[in-house]
Amino acid sequence: MLLSAQNIVKRYGGVVALSDGNLNVSSGEVVALVGANGSGKSTLSKIINGVVVLDGGQLLLDGAPAEFASPQAARKMGIATVFQELSLVPQMSIAENIWLTREPLHANGMVNHKEVLARTERLLKLFEGTFKTALTPDVSVNSLQPDEKQIIEILKAVSTDPRILILDEATASLDSRQVSRLFELVAEWKKAGKAIIFVSHRMEEIFRIADTYTVLRNGKTVGSGVIKEVTEKELVNLMIEQASVFSHARQNRLSARELAQKPVYLSVKDLTTDVLRGVNLEVHQGELLGLGGLMGQGQRELLRAIFGYIQYQGRINIQGREVFYRHPADAIKDGTAFVPGDRGKEGLLYIRSILENILLPSWKEFGVPLRMRKAHQSAAVVGKSLNLKMAGLDEPVSSLSGGNAQKVVIGKWLKRKPQLLLLDDPTKGVDVGTKAEFYKLLANLCDEGKTIIFYSSDDEELVGLCDRILVMHDGVIRTSLIDKMITKRNLVAASLGASEEEQHE
Amino acid sequence: MNRRRWNQLLLKYPFLFALILLAIAILVNAILQPTFFTRESLNNNMRVFLPLMILAVGQAVVMLGGGIDISVGGIVSIVNTILATQVGLQGSPQKMWLFVGLSLLAGLAAGTLNGFFVSVLRLQPIITTYATSFLFFGIALYILPNPGGGIPQAISGLYRNSTPLGIPLAIYVIVLILLGWYYLRHTRYGRYLYAVGGKAEAAYESGVPVVGIQFSTYIISGMMAAVAGIAMSMLTGSGNADIGSAMTLNSVTAVVIGGTAFSGGVGGIAGPIVGAMTLQMIMNIISFANIDTWWQTFVNALIIVIALALPGLLNLFQGRKK
Repeated sequence: MLLSAQNIVKRYGGVVALSDGNLNVSSGEVVALVGANGSGKSTLSKIINGVVVLDGGQLLLDGAPAEFASPQAARKMGIATVFQELSLVPQMSIAENIWLTREPLHANGMVNHKEVLARTERLLKLFEGTFKTALTPDVSVNSLQPDEKQIIEILKAVSTDPRILILDEATASLDSRQVSRLFELVAEWKKAGKAIIFVSHRMEEIFRIADTYTVLRNGKTVGSGVIKEVTEKELVNLMIEQASVFSHARQNRLSARELAQKPVYLSVKDLTTDVLRGVNLEVHQGELLGLGGLMGQGQRELLRAIFGYIQYQGRINIQGREVFYRHPADAIKDGTAFVPGDRGKEGLLYIRSILENILLPSWKEFGVPLRMRKAHQSAAVVGKSLNLKMAGLDEPVSSLSGGNAQKVVIGKWLKRKPQLLLLDDPTKGVDVGTKAEFYKLLANLCDEGKTIIFYSSDDEELVGLCDRILVMHDGVIRTSLIDKMITKRNLVAASLGASEEEQHE
Repeated sequence: MNRRRWNQLLLKYPFLFALILLAIAILVNAILQPTFFTRESLNNNMRVFLPLMILAVGQAVVMLGGGIDISVGGIVSIVNTILATQVGLQGSPQKMWLFVGLSLLAGLAAGTLNGFFVSVLRLQPIITTYATSFLFFGIALYILPNPGGGIPQAISGLYRNSTPLGIPLAIYVIVLILLGWYYLRHTRYGRYLYAVGGKAEAAYESGVPVVGIQFSTYIISGMMAAVAGIAMSMLTGSGNADIGSAMTLNSVTAVVIGGTAFSGGVGGIAGPIVGAMTLQMIMNIISFANIDTWWQTFVNALIIVIALALPGLLNLFQGRKK
């Protein structure tokens, strides 16, 4: 056994990211590390490569306990990672980036530039023929395409000649030819005795390249074994909780037939941005439409495009009327509201009072100079309808809990009586009790006839609440789930691109 | 298409803009002052330009690493007041060289202070060095409350009139600095400096000692400011605690017209040297043309504002076209 992670525990504040993570890998072996959103995969790989320090359990390298306080310490022990978030300096050249901190030097201390170039040429040869344009070592990184950057990142990790190579979603931005080339190389590295930890969501790739698998669920390793002895379906079943614990399922949900009877509120045709690649969808009046899929497949961009927040091509119709938003203000005028996921950054003025936050989009109502007593009453009504737990309207928003702060974000839009609500992962970091109230609020809004598009990274929430779920992948809608098709299993399978889908279980 | 090629050229040779400005400035200077190209007037100009050039080099190193040093003028003043009070007009050469050494130590100490605050305590560079600049000017005023004192004429003469092989002394100093920089930027340290200024997180992830590199840039800048202070004292031959106050903004302007980005990671020191020269040529023009001196500050500020706004404005216009 080259590396063995045993009973790893990692907490971020009160949140347990890993409670019992286990992973074993031998030299000359490819292990696939799989799991659904938030299962602890990236935390485990970050512990192995020294980016994150573990709270409990231990790492064994060659059978001896090992501790990595930093990525450099892990690298010295022969562990290299291909980072998802790029670790390249954009202004520097390919060669300078790959050899940063490991430059070959002349005797006088100057960098041996010729040697750097020669070594880089040799590395670039590994992927020769898979680039759209041939790369040379002195090209600066900020002129590269995402796939090229990813390959440079891979080459940078390989250039350290590691014993263990972690590929964390390294294939996400590569095209099929580049993936094939990478897998040929992985086969070579295996032969040379390297161990490879392959973190991926792509089932097809996992079965193509991996020898063994390890499945994480809710921070625990729930299964591992030889890939040949397992089917895609069995892997997906391992990834999802058997007994669902979601206890806030929405009542009176709309069936496919009922939905079809309702008028279409919003329709989107061929919506294209730099992330979206032609999205088509229709949302009916009073529908709670879920957006699912792995994180970063274009869900956020879709919501932002509909809100006029980012530039797009394509057509958007609201109640049969074609609209073109250049600015969120246009969308707001048409009765659309957007609740961003990152409350601190986009949704709230943290140090200002609850009153000011709630009334921010509606100060116009209160004249010049502002009639503060009326404003106070108006904000109090909103606060009450949201069941806001607060010391007073004049307290700063920063005094509220995460869930109550999120309610303020919604409250400020409810005042304007929106017809379409766009929610971008609104329950992230919200406590359980507030979540329940939040779900009730959503159900009430739908019953009132408001239309909601709801993106969530929490699969259970989507399954428990939505009338219909659209699963996004790589900038398009891949699958639509409705009625009995809405199960956790189907959602996870569709997210991962597993082939078969079942009616019910 | 044309604009694109221009942009690419600017990207490759960031100090092209400064060179063009310099050419214009030289032309105007030559017209205003017919003796401009004589050896004597060349030396006159270069010895006046040198202190700011040295200061700009230190500033450029800090800005390449992603920081900024607003305290350099204060360090110039401290050095000037030390030399003017401790050596004196009647002082011996030995005494002069002793205090030159001490001045360098003062620059080192000032740079260490800045470096500690910015890199170790991670305080905002612009605020921190603005604050320490008051400290440094305060110290200078304490040493020399009223303008006066000075250094021996023989020594300032050495600076002012040396033209070995008929070439002004300042040229030698600049060549020496450029050679040193050429070496430095081709060492690992040079690579680290660009990496830290370019994207500090990526550099850290790659194992670059980010704190150490940032720290070192302030030490370099402190030392260069001390050298600039020594040159300034030899140029004027007298002491004044306020001598450096106008130089800080000028050093930043010189770096910016020299093509080193405010955001760090792009540029070099040749650009800032050309920038410093250009800036002072413009001031020459202003004084020759008998324009009020407050125009100098105005022109200075205008250049900075344009340099800062230009990328944004270009983007805006390009975005419109789309």
